[in-house]
Amino acid sequence: MESELFDPQSTTNQKQPGLPDAVRTKTPSKVYGVGGLLIVLLLFPGLHLLLGGTLNFYLNLMLFAFMYIALSSSWNIMGGYTGYISLGHNVFFAIGGYFGGTLLVYHDISVFVSAPFAGLLTMLVGLLIGLITLRVRGPSFIISTVALVLVVRLILDNWRYVGGANGMSLPLLDLPVAWSKIPFYYAMLLIAVLAVFMSYRIRHSKLGLGLRAISQDEIKAEAAGIPTRRYKIIAFALSGFFIGVAGAIWGQYLTYISPSIFLLILIGAQMVLMCILGGKGTVAGPIVGAVLVILMNEFFLSRFGGTELNIFGTGLLMVLVLLFFPDGIVGSLRKMRRLPGFLDWD
Amino acid sequence: MTDFLQTLILGLMLGGVYALFAGGLTLVFGVMRIVNIAHPAFIFLAAFIAYTLNKNLGLDPLVAVLFNMPIMFVFGMGIYRLLLAKGADSPRYTQMTVLITFGLALMIEGILSFLFTGTIRSVNPPYAVQAIFIGDIFIPRAQLYAGITSLILIGLLALVLRYTRIGYAIRATMQNRAAARTVGVNVERVSTIAFGIGAALAGASGALMSFLFSFFPSGHWEWVALLLSLVVLGGMGQLMGAVVGALSLAVAAAFVSDTLGPTWSPLTFYLSLFVILLIRPQGLFGKKMEAE
Repeated sequence: MESELFDPQSTTNQKQPGLPDAVRTKTPSKVYGVGGLLIVLLLFPGLHLLLGGTLNFYLNLMLFAFMYIALSSSWNIMGGYTGYISLGHNVFFAIGGYFGGTLLVYHDISVFVSAPFAGLLTMLVGLLIGLITLRVRGPSFIISTVALVLVVRLILDNWRYVGGANGMSLPLLDLPVAWSKIPFYYAMLLIAVLAVFMSYRIRHSKLGLGLRAISQDEIKAEAAGIPTRRYKIIAFALSGFFIGVAGAIWGQYLTYISPSIFLLILIGAQMVLMCILGGKGTVAGPIVGAVLVILMNEFFLSRFGGTELNIFGTGLLMVLVLLFFPDGIVGSLRKMRRLPGFLDWD
Repeated sequence: MTDFLQTLILGLMLGGVYALFAGGLTLVFGVMRIVNIAHPAFIFLAAFIAYTLNKNLGLDPLVAVLFNMPIMFVFGMGIYRLLLAKGADSPRYTQMTVLITFGLALMIEGILSFLFTGTIRSVNPPYAVQAIFIGDIFIPRAQLYAGITSLILIGLLALVLRYTRIGYAIRATMQNRAAARTVGVNVERVSTIAFGIGAALAGASGALMSFLFSFFPSGHWEWVALLLSLVVLGGMGQLMGAVVGALSLAVAAAFVSDTLGPTWSPLTFYLSLFVILLIRPQGLFGKKMEAE
């Protein structure tokens, strides 16, 4: 695996290094497996309609999972590959949500149209924030991301145009109940697939190699000629894109945007937890983590009601994973050489 | 002029309290290079203890300081041994502690919301609504008492650090962990005690918070950036730096609040945090806090 990464082919200046041959020729079953899974996911709403629209609960759960897969895969680019822990990535989520929501309310533009632009805006903001905050590293960076959330929160809380602390209601999509979740399901599925694909491509690119060098030892990476500052800022901006897109869709799905929905510290914490639990710096880790954490949340909510124990559980799981399981599930399995092929995309 | 003096005095008194709030945070960073994101959560936990003591036993929150400090001291030592003692010599320790204490803060928040619900609370001893007038300047008694308590505790801490054996050991560990170990300081034990002292300061802070500010379980996040900004301004790990940082930022925030309105006064702390991190990450008096 490692030798493949240092293959001169993958470090040359090609803009689009193709899928590594190893993936295509040696283990095609893995690719078929993912294709099969995607087909099942694509057909699932059909089953839902056949059963007379009785699977709304599962559709909701699954689109929630897709969203978090996109969020934690994006976070992974910064927090996993580059080793820069951000506790402020829900700022991107909020920007996407507010961009989509504002255009919908004031200009009647559907979020399904505006979402990609929300992503672009988020990327631009990420670039600007990155220019400022990425001048510091380590704990200083983490602290600055915490402050970032609070600054944005304060601004949104006091910005009348977007409803201040009360937020804004968005118009409902005019669909029958059985159909109401389906557009969001497909949108989130698409976002998740694209976000994971981006994560995969970055992992197997020159940029990804540079980012991982930065996470190993930034000073040596810089000495070796990697433009660390530019790479970090690019990674920060890219990691914002799909979070912004997901934010726009999520606002319309809830038909409500407010600072307390998007800038909840718990959302930022969930991204971090999913990534660390699954295995940060791996392509499959955030997916595994997202699915497990969402199942755990669902268990807590259905078993105990209330979110208080959910917050406690999130914190406890985070501490336990960090202390006893720092490589996460995918990373630990790889270390034990027990990683099943379908999870090995690195 | 009176207006100016009034704002200045209120700012300074609040700054004294902030200095105590941030004292534990900076001590713990100085000794162990732990960035304790859960420090405000500790303060909130202590505030709820003071609230419970007041509600059930009618205990004055100023007296609760004396109960809170030993409780939180033991609690802090336990937390350190359980969660943070591992891997203290690794170069990535600081980053690791940010995440672990982040999780810990979530745990505390979850427990507090479970026990006390999300309702906004405060303790109202009689002096919370009284004020002393000196000429045209009014001084709320609650703030005055809290400010004096803070100054006494910070003074005591400075004396302990300066003149006692454990104080020598703590300062030696601050200066150079490896060298302190070489000359026979039991660094592990010192770290545990220092973390306990940090938590005990949070305990005292919580008792003061219970009657100075209203609090609810998830409110501690707003304090994270505020306290970190004070500590970063003064230089992480510098006790006197934290005091200077707290006083100057609290006064600045008081003037911002006076001119732009109270909504924007928190922005003073957040923005100054950014500015300091970018211009002078080591703070006014500090050494560099970069990992690696």
